[in-house]
Formats: sequence, structure tokens, C-alpha cells
Amino acid sequence: MKMLSYDYVKCTGLSEAVDILAKEEQAYPYAGGTDLMVGMRGGKFAPKKLVDVKDLPELNVFEENDQGIIIGAAITLNQIACDDSIVKNIPILAEGSHSVGGYTIRNRATLAGNICNASPAADTAAPLYTLEALINIAGPDGNRSLPVEEFFTGPGQTALKKGELVQSIVIPRPFPAGKGVYSKASRTGSVDLATVGVAVQNWGEHVKIAVGAVAATPVRALSVEKAINEKGEKSSAEAAKLVHNDIAPITDIRGSREYRYHMVEVLVRRGLEQTMGV
Amino acid sequence: MSDKIKIKFTVNGDSEEREAVVGETLLKFIRDELNLTGTKSGCEIGECGACTVLLDGKPVNSCLVLAVELDGKELLTIEGLSKNGELDRLQQAFIDHAAFQCGYCTPGMIMAARSLLERNPNPNDSEINKALSGNLCRCGAYQEIRDAVKDSASK
Repeated sequence: MKMLSYDYVKCTGLSEAVDILAKEEQAYPYAGGTDLMVGMRGGKFAPKKLVDVKDLPELNVFEENDQGIIIGAAITLNQIACDDSIVKNIPILAEGSHSVGGYTIRNRATLAGNICNASPAADTAAPLYTLEALINIAGPDGNRSLPVEEFFTGPGQTALKKGELVQSIVIPRPFPAGKGVYSKASRTGSVDLATVGVAVQNWGEHVKIAVGAVAATPVRALSVEKAINEKGEKSSAEAAKLVHNDIAPITDIRGSREYRYHMVEVLVRRGLEQTMGV
Repeated sequence: MSDKIKIKFTVNGDSEEREAVVGETLLKFIRDELNLTGTKSGCEIGECGACTVLLDGKPVNSCLVLAVELDGKELLTIEGLSKNGELDRLQQAFIDHAAFQCGYCTPGMIMAARSLLERNPNPNDSEINKALSGNLCRCGAYQEIRDAVKDSASK
């Protein structure tokens, strides 16, 4: 077992954490650690300091208010997947959260961590895209808020600047009126990263679709959305074919480019059938 | 940089005060500092579940937790299940159903199953499969493991 060498500090306030992250080189915020620890061991990350933020009160907010549902950055995926309000109002997010790892991993892993790791295959990302989630960011120059689609900038890359960290994720009101599903193709029936992940959310008057693991970041299937929302396409099979215009998959250990083209179309079609009844 | 931080915690019911090396995993601390070698080291990237322990009652992969995070917490390892030399119900059920061959996954499997039974005293096959999906058994004793968990739940 290789011993890793770095400093560790447990912060008591958000401003203290931001201050350290802004001033020190190679300081990383540490919450669940389920991606960070693995990445450190594999040489992907080489922190000089871990800034433990998981007990910060500002990051443990988990409440519903006029704005929507506020999910603090330290809230774990199991807390989200089991939350009554989320299961009832936005089940697509409960499904996405539940799709990450196994139960034990989800006891530690956070929603914020899942998006900050910025894997194109992140299971929570596609649902958050269809919900138009907002990412609240705290940083040395104050707070700012970004739509989740602007947060992902590339594989493993986010819009976070030096010293910034995600404070919370907001699922804004109004919540979707219709049904939403997140489905994923993976190599095994149990725990695996998505080979393809598809979120389809019926908003009553229109549909929003986002797909993961088929481009450098999760992406909206805008061609499919346009066909259904604007052109009145009634056939889910015909609409699903258009997803090929929105993606640029690659071949990797989990699946070939061709397989991804095929599977994403299948999952979009099934998602439309389940949510839109078309 | 091998700084040490003083931590206070309880392990299997006993209060302890130790020093933990910054950067050391909880898994290494449990095995090398507490000498509780029932908790196994497998993949060390959170995929196999061999290192599963209960931290404040919740199952975690101890290979992905820092030892210093144990401060103020309650740790339960496989060694904490038996009382006065008597195996607990779940351990006995694993033996009764021969729910292992090599036994390497067993401590983690039992800790994850124990947590499931605390959340859901009467799980069905699908619920057991899901709860144990983060625990791999290379010998393929899954059927027997499921039987053991169900048997233990029914008693």
C-alpha cells in the first residue's frame, strides 16, 4: 500500500476553505473522496494539501425553498437517492444518483463531487442537464452561479477557477410536470461506469434530453428535442435517430464508437416511450 | 511530510486514542495500527468491497477514507460482531450456507449485509443483490451469500 504524502486540514468555515484553496498550490477540496482518493493513487491528482470540507455547515444545506431544492456540496448520493421530496418531485435525479457506484460508495460520494470530477459519463450530469440545474460556486472573488451545462468544459475539466469550489446545486422551480427517466448501458448489471447514459425528462409541454459518455462532456440531444418540441415528431423511433447529430462518441474500454451510436439511440427511444407515450 | 494527528474514536465498542498518519487510509490504519486484520485489502480503488467497515453505522470502503477522519467516530469491523466467543447470526449463517470458498470477500460482504439488514430486516433477492453490488466474490458464491443473508433475516 503506497503511502501518499500531503497535508490535511479540516476546515470550520467556508471562507477558510476558499482562502486555503486560493492561496496554496495543489490544494484540493475533499468531501467524499471516492474519486479523489482513486485519482491520487493512480497519479491523476497530486495534491499537496487536502482541504476537508465535508462538515462545513454551508455545504450541508439540503432544503426545499421558493427557489427550488438546494443540495449542499457535502450531501451524499445516498441522501439524495433516498430523499422523499426528490423521489416524489424529481425522480430522474434520484435515479441518476442511485446509478453511481454501489451503496457503500454512495454513502461517501457527493453530487457535487460527481460533477466536479467532470467525467463525461457522470450519471448525475444528464439528469441535472434536463432539470436545468444551477451550480452555486464560492470563491475568493465572491459567489457566482452557473447553469450546469456551462460547468462542464471537457473531460475532467470544469469552469471552476483557482480557489473556487462548488457550494451547492440548485434544482430550480418549477419542477417538471411530467415523468423523467435516467437509463444507462454498462458492461455489467451491477456496478460500472456508464457506457452510455440517457436522461429523458417530460416537462408537460416539451421534453428535455441529455446524454452522457458520448461526447467530451454530457450534452443535450437538441436535435431530438427540436423534432419533438417544435416539429411535432410523433415517432419516438424517428426522433431517437436524430441523436446521432448531437454526439461524438469515442471507442474506449467500455465500448466502441459504433456501439455507443447504437445504444444511445436505443436508450433515447426507450426513454421517449416511457416518458412521452409516443 | 508524515505528520501525525491525534484522533479519538471507538472501535468495536472500545474507546481509543491514537495518532494517525496524514495520508494513511482508514484501511491501513485498521490493519496495521489497530491490528484488526479481518478487514481485507483488495482493489484499493473502491470497486471490490473487501475493505467494507461500518463508520458511524454506515458501510464505507475503508480504502477510500482517510484514517484521520476516524476522529470522533464509531468504527465497527468484522471483529466486533462476535460476542463472548459466539459468532453473530449473520456470521453463523455464512458458515451454515458455505457462503464462501476462499473467504477473502467475506468480512466486507458480512459488513455490507449487516448494514442492509439494519435498514431492511426482510430483504428480497433483488434488494440483497443491490445492497451487495459493491462487494465482489471472485469464487462466485453469490447464491450462497444471498441464501445466508435471507436465512439470517428470517431468524
